[in-house]
Amino acid sequence: MSGTKPDILWAPHQVDRFVVCDSELSLYHVESTVNSELKAGSLRLSEDSAATLLSINSDTPYMKCVAWYLNYDPECLLAVGQANGRVVLTSLGQDHNSKFKDLIGKEFVPKHARQCNTLAWNPLDSNWLAAGLDKHRADFSVLIWDICSKYTPDIVPMEKVRLSAGETETTLLVTKPLYELGQNDACLSLCWLPRDQKLLLAGMHRNLAIFDLRNTSQKMFVNTKAVQGVTVDPYFHDRVASFYEGQVAIWDLRKFEKPVLTLTEQPKPLTKVAWCPTRTGLLATLTRDSNIIRLYDMQHTPTPIGDETEPTIIERSVQPCDNYIASFAWHPTSQNRMIVVTPNRTMSDFTVFERISLAWSPITSLMWACGRHLYECAEEENDNSLEKDIATKMRLRALSRYGLDTEQVWRNHILAGNEDPQLKSLWYTLHFMKQYTEDMDQKSPGNKGSLVYAGIKSIVKSSLGMVESSRHIWSGLDKQTDTQNLNEERILALQLCGWIKKGTDVDVGPFLNSLVQEGEWERAAAVALFNLDIRRAIQILNEGASSEKGDLNLNVVAMALSGYTDEKNSLWREMCSTLRLQLNNPYLCVMFAFLTSETGSYDGVLYENKVAVRDRVAFACKFLSDSQLNRYIEKLTNEMKEAGNLEGILLTGLTKDGVDLMESYVDRTGDVQTASYCMLQGSPLDVLKDERVQYWIENYRNLLDAWRFWHKRAEFDIHRSKLDPSSKPLAQVFVSCNFCGKSISYSCSTVPHQGRGFSQYGVSGSPTKSKVTSCPGCRKPLPRCALCLINMGTPVSSCPGGSKSDEKVDLSKDKKLAQFNNWFTWCHNCRHGGHAGHMLSWFRDHAECPVSACTCKCMQLDTTGNLVPAETVQP
Amino acid sequence: MELHILEHRLQVASVAKESIPLFTYGLIKLAFLSSKTRCKFFSLTETPEDYTIIVDEEGFLELPSSEHLSVAGATWLALNVVSGGGGFSGSQPIGVTKIAKSVIAPLADQNISVFMLSTYQTDFILVRERDLPFVTHTLSSEFTILRVVNGETVAAENLGITNGFVKPKMVQRPVIHPLSSPSNRFCVTSLDPDTLPAVATLLMDVMFYSNGVKDPMAAGEDCGHIRFFSFSLIEGYISLVMDVQTQQRFPSNLLFTSASGELWKMVRIGGQPLGFDECGIVAQISEPLAAADIPAYYISTFKFDHALVPEENINAVIGALKVSQAEKH
Repeated sequence: MSGTKPDILWAPHQVDRFVVCDSELSLYHVESTVNSELKAGSLRLSEDSAATLLSINSDTPYMKCVAWYLNYDPECLLAVGQANGRVVLTSLGQDHNSKFKDLIGKEFVPKHARQCNTLAWNPLDSNWLAAGLDKHRADFSVLIWDICSKYTPDIVPMEKVRLSAGETETTLLVTKPLYELGQNDACLSLCWLPRDQKLLLAGMHRNLAIFDLRNTSQKMFVNTKAVQGVTVDPYFHDRVASFYEGQVAIWDLRKFEKPVLTLTEQPKPLTKVAWCPTRTGLLATLTRDSNIIRLYDMQHTPTPIGDETEPTIIERSVQPCDNYIASFAWHPTSQNRMIVVTPNRTMSDFTVFERISLAWSPITSLMWACGRHLYECAEEENDNSLEKDIATKMRLRALSRYGLDTEQVWRNHILAGNEDPQLKSLWYTLHFMKQYTEDMDQKSPGNKGSLVYAGIKSIVKSSLGMVESSRHIWSGLDKQTDTQNLNEERILALQLCGWIKKGTDVDVGPFLNSLVQEGEWERAAAVALFNLDIRRAIQILNEGASSEKGDLNLNVVAMALSGYTDEKNSLWREMCSTLRLQLNNPYLCVMFAFLTSETGSYDGVLYENKVAVRDRVAFACKFLSDSQLNRYIEKLTNEMKEAGNLEGILLTGLTKDGVDLMESYVDRTGDVQTASYCMLQGSPLDVLKDERVQYWIENYRNLLDAWRFWHKRAEFDIHRSKLDPSSKPLAQVFVSCNFCGKSISYSCSTVPHQGRGFSQYGVSGSPTKSKVTSCPGCRKPLPRCALCLINMGTPVSSCPGGSKSDEKVDLSKDKKLAQFNNWFTWCHNCRHGGHAGHMLSWFRDHAECPVSACTCKCMQLDTTGNLVPAETVQP
Repeated sequence: MELHILEHRLQVASVAKESIPLFTYGLIKLAFLSSKTRCKFFSLTETPEDYTIIVDEEGFLELPSSEHLSVAGATWLALNVVSGGGGFSGSQPIGVTKIAKSVIAPLADQNISVFMLSTYQTDFILVRERDLPFVTHTLSSEFTILRVVNGETVAAENLGITNGFVKPKMVQRPVIHPLSSPSNRFCVTSLDPDTLPAVATLLMDVMFYSNGVKDPMAAGEDCGHIRFFSFSLIEGYISLVMDVQTQQRFPSNLLFTSASGELWKMVRIGGQPLGFDECGIVAQISEPLAAADIPAYYISTFKFDHALVPEENINAVIGALKVSQAEKH
């Protein structure tokens, strides 16, 4: 301080004042300049604040350290430690008639002169001032002064030496400290511990020492180099920071033997380390010749018991100004605000912006925190204009058991909410695939079955090279003279598209009826037309026009349709081919495209993207030659894969291609739920092994866990293990005997002829059978239930020991639960346990272990034990 | 009580008065430009006979090797007693007196030669590095022995080695060397290292040019007046021992003094150079002082030893030591 580097201090109570001290003390007043101009003579501190110089005090030469009186004082009472070890009380106020009048100018003189390194006011007794001095061979280095001590004979008026002011008054000197500590040692830094008025932490020459003034003959100390700048975390009174050269050590006073952690060493020596008084666990550090202040955010993360992991620290730095910083001071009350001073005494008022932390909840709400504010962003309930987030959708679908209907597979799209045409198409496709695979397997247990799940692309490919099917003949309007000779593969493809039912019957009649029933007249008419039944098409359109929901214009379309002529250059053709583009309904549009097309060229139908893929593929199967068909399917497949369109699963099936398609679907939507269920539905093993598929499945399971849908997760796991036998987990937990150490179930399985299973131990089987109460290996008894005192393996018959009568009813009512009640469970901490049912009922009313004299709070140790599955909470 | 074995490895050297110009460059660098050297321990004491330099290995490199530099042929280690318990009683004996019983006498009993350097801040007991195992063994019963390694104190291992000397029963240790007491009154003081540049020229003058400037008053009137000045800069702390006449040349308020303004008188020990092998010299002086509870500083130099005692006690000290001397005969 004396010399080049100024220091800076905020007033502890008048929060708009601060002092800059170098060779003199300068008091400034901070004002907001948001709504006003900069006043003449004031210094700009930041965009919205400025400082005005109030007064200067140069009464105290050779300043080494300054500390501001901690009680409210209008006079700005300061203690100044000087190079010769004297501590002087001085003030920056103008009013000399205050209650501190007696104190100002008072000097506290050590027996032997040496530098005063540090000063600290006691936060609890405002009259106590601790001074840390350099070493003297015969003197103490920590002196605690009572500034209000009555003038004892020790105090001798002496001639006062003042360099600047010509005051001639004599000053009272105090030479008798309240306490003297640290003989023949040096004190470099000091701070009082807030735990007790009489505890003082001092950075001594080579150690950190805690002095207890209640018993000064003892001290607690630890040898370390990090003795500079000791400071207590204002929010965590056992945490202390100190430094040495470039290294900051953080200490826990409860475990004082070594630092709990040391921060990354800086290349330059540190000059100041300070805890933020307005924010927990935030430490600011400054090094020499630096224009940045480094901040360390010490997170409170609970660490597992007995684990010596270091707390998480987030390090960042701020640059309050361009110049080197001489010193800084946190504002005592304004959050994260500090003032910095540069060596040439320019100052800057600066607020450290709080880190923003952000968290998505597993259900769609979003939270973020900044400083003391917590913001929540929740989805608006009633706003239907926006599509629901996929997470919300998946959650609702999980609740409605989406994906779990393995019999009527198509029904899953209804469970999904029946609103997504792609899902509808997907589940119908999977439904048909399942159905026809079963069919095939019944007919010929060959390899055709697996072909079905491989999709139409593979099916069509397999027919390549066979005899070209005979061309169908366009035979006019009057009568369907269907002579199409479709091969087996094409029929299978049409079946998968849903146009025709199983069996060899190629009649589309039933399909048309179902479409009409659902009110899809345009689609039905188009399908009828593509099956060359123009009369049926017209009939369907008429039906549609006359129905309630139908469009009257369908009659007009029917009329137009009836005017069909084969004539190539007719007016009808000309008009239809131009006007069809104005039709809104894609099916009506493709009908005219089909009728006006040249033979063999059906691009207007095949590439009308609004028409369902299954209809276009069925159309292609009907009308394209093998090579055309192959090319078309190939092209369409790639289109679907790129778009991640689930309708494309019809083409790709559940193959690697299908995984590619699903990958782009998941990339687009994030819907791992559909991806998981779809891939489990019938994929061959190598596809299921694909890491992407495993990834989707694992993520979906995690998602269910995050939603606390543990029952749904379990259901999914069961579903998964049914469809993918390889995913069945191996037994990971065995119950072993206390005496011989052998697994109880293992020793059973080694004697299979006895026919004993694990079920006999009340774990999964019928409780009435279980009789075994001793280890099958060594015949020693199994442990007893702490409540009923019956050996493990015996079913819970009644509920002795404080169980309620209504529970018995519960048990008999729900057999599944009763089985679970027979399970044996124990605390991993105290090793006491018993029947699960007994334990559950015990811990419903008790916190401690049921074994008398055991004080283990078993249930509280179980972090998940107190959580409730979300499904039960859900409506 | 803790005994710290400091990490400085020290050399003790002597320069004859007339040869001092050869060394002033290095000495000024060590004394005033400590940031330019890696030296952490430097002491320069001027006596009527010579200049004694105690300096660590790093600082020793700053001195030119010369036939005019006599070096005590051993590496010395500094010991420092720290009252680890933080005892709190105002009337504790200070300085050498405090450690007379616990350190100096036991080492003398074990025939371990010591070299003392008292400063404003503390007392250093220098022992030969080769004697260290015996020192730690001798003192381990009394002290927690800690070693400073890289600035950090760690427990020192006790090697359990003795040098074969059996601890004798409490024998009287008579003063065997002639004593003299110059008329100077001394003060032991220090100053803020930040203000060192302000008085550097004055200090240089005092250190190196004392012979040229004849103090007319001292030289003329008082033949018992001797030339004695000591400067040390150890681990950043400055310590000065000078007589009142020299002190008056410094600006007031710059030197650190005690509140009581105490002054000290000197007892010089030795008629002819004491050498480095004789043991028990410090003990001979300090034990009677400890018995009389008189505080003292003790500064060993290359040729003689010097004890400083409060001026009001000088007659009592001389008396006590004379009695001790008489017992010899």
